[in-house]
Amino acid sequence: MSLINHTSRSKASSKPSSRRTETARVYAHPIPIIFPELTCKFLGLSLTRPLNPHCTALFDPLTRSAWVSNSGDATLLWQRGFFGKGDLSRSEPSWLARQINARKMKGKGLTSEEITAKRRAERKQFKLDRAKAIAAAAAEAETAFNEQGRVIAPGIAPDGTRIIPSAATWKPTSASVPSDQSPIDVAPDEKEEIEPIQDLEHLQLSLQEAFFLVWALDCLTILHPETVFHLIVFPQNVSFTLAEIWNTFQNAHIPSSVPQPNAPSPPRFDNPFLVSYIAYHHYRSLGWVVKSGIKFCVDYLLYKRGPVFQHAEFAIVVIPVYEDPEDQANSPFKLQNAEPFTWSWLSTINRVNSQVQKTLVLSYITIPAESRVSPKVLSSPACFAHYSVREVVLRRFIPARMRD
Amino acid sequence: MQNHPSYPVLSQLLAKYPATGGALFQVYNDLTLAQRWTEVEVLDLPACKRAAIKGQRPTPDTDRGPSICVVVPCSLSESISTSWLRAAFTSLDPLPSEIYVAITSEDTSTVYYKISQGVVKPPV
Repeated sequence: MSLINHTSRSKASSKPSSRRTETARVYAHPIPIIFPELTCKFLGLSLTRPLNPHCTALFDPLTRSAWVSNSGDATLLWQRGFFGKGDLSRSEPSWLARQINARKMKGKGLTSEEITAKRRAERKQFKLDRAKAIAAAAAEAETAFNEQGRVIAPGIAPDGTRIIPSAATWKPTSASVPSDQSPIDVAPDEKEEIEPIQDLEHLQLSLQEAFFLVWALDCLTILHPETVFHLIVFPQNVSFTLAEIWNTFQNAHIPSSVPQPNAPSPPRFDNPFLVSYIAYHHYRSLGWVVKSGIKFCVDYLLYKRGPVFQHAEFAIVVIPVYEDPEDQANSPFKLQNAEPFTWSWLSTINRVNSQVQKTLVLSYITIPAESRVSPKVLSSPACFAHYSVREVVLRRFIPARMRD
Repeated sequence: MQNHPSYPVLSQLLAKYPATGGALFQVYNDLTLAQRWTEVEVLDLPACKRAAIKGQRPTPDTDRGPSICVVVPCSLSESISTSWLRAAFTSLDPLPSEIYVAITSEDTSTVYYKISQGVVKPPV
C-alpha cells in the first residue's frame, strides 16, 4: 500500500481488511489504459473510448533506460501495472517522502524502506543477544565441568527454561531501538523547513517496459535526451518515432552517451534487447506483472497481481536457444545462458529460489535461423512471430520425503 | 542525465569509461542520496577500466562506528573475473581488507556483495 500520500483515513486503514480494500482501490487498474464503464452501446459495440494517460519519458543512453520525471506520470505507471522502479527506492519512488520523514522525525507512516531497515536492525540485535547467550552458556558449561566434573546442558537453566533466545519468543528491548536522531533545536528546524527539498528521484523504466508501453499499449511517448530550440526559442525535446525507438533500443548495448537511431547493421535475431523483450512481452500479455529478478539470481520475477499483494511465485530464467548453431558461432553478442548450464549452477539457482518459496521456470526462447528467415523482417516488431517461447518448470525431487 | 546534480562530479569518468557509466551513475546516486554515505570521493581504477567510489558508511550499530568502504560498480550484462577483482584490490591504496561490488540492473535494482581477500569468518 502506498504510504506516500497519507490520507486522512489513517485511523480506519490500520485494520488489515480496510488496508486490503485500500490497496485494491489504489491498484485497481492492471494497465495504464482504463476502459470506462459502458454507458451507451450501439449494435453491441461500445461507444466510449478507452482513457489513455499519454505519459512521457526521456531516453537515457548511458543507463539504457527511460526516465519518467513527471511525478504524476510516475505514480500512474506504478499504480496501473507496476511499471518501472524509483531509482532511489525499493519499488515505487518514495525518496522524497523518506527525506521529508527524516526531517520531521515523526516516524508516522513509514515507507517500506524504513520498515525493512527497522526489521533488520531488530534482527541484528536478536542475533547479537543470541550469540552472547550461547557464548555465556558455553562458558558456564566449561567452568562447571572443570570445577565439578559434571556435564550440564548448556542451553537449559536449572529450572528447565531456555537461556538462549529463540526467534519466536525474543522481543526487542527499548535499548535496541537506535536513537540515531538527536533532538534538533527549534531555530534550525524552522530554517530547514522553509527550503523545500528538490526531488532528485525519477521512475526508471527498463527498455523492455518502455517498449511494451510504447508499442503494445501505446500510452507512452519517449523523448530524445537533447533539447531542441524551436523558432519560438522554446526548448523542447523531440519525441522518437516508433522506428527510431525500435532501432535505438536494439543499439542500446553499444556503450554511448548519445542514442543511435539508425538500424543496426547487420540486423541480428539474437540482439539482447529482442530476446529479453520477447520473454517480457510473452508474460506481460498473459497478465503477469513482470519485474527484474536480480535479487534472486534470475532474469524475471512473475507476480500474479503485483508486488504489493503477494510475493512473486515464479522466477524466470531466460535461456536463448539458437535454431542454427552457426548463428551462435558468428554472433557478436555473448548472450547469457546461451551455453548449457553446469549442474552446480542450476542447483544453486534452484536452491536460492526454493528457499524463498519461488518456483524456478526455465524459459527457452528459440532464435530463428538466418538461413531460414531473412533478417529483413527485423525492420519491424513483426519479426516476433518467428520466435517461440517454451517453459520448463524445475523442482527438486527428494524421493525419501516426497512420498505423500 | 546532464541536469542531474551528480552529473558534474562524474562527467569526466562517465566520458572516460562509457561502458560502465550507467552503473557508476546509479551506484553513486544510491550511496549519496539513498544510503546517505558521507565523505564520498570517486576514484579512477584504470586496471579495472572503471571508477570506484569510496566513502564513509553510516551504520546503525552502536558498537561499531562508521567505516570507510570502497564500492566498485559493475553492470549485470558484464562478465567479470577474479583477476579483475584482484586488480581492484591492488589498485586501491591503502590496500583494503574488503571491497563491495555493486551489481546494477537496468531497472535500477542494485545488489551489493562484500568481497574479502581469502576466507573470512562472519562476525556473528
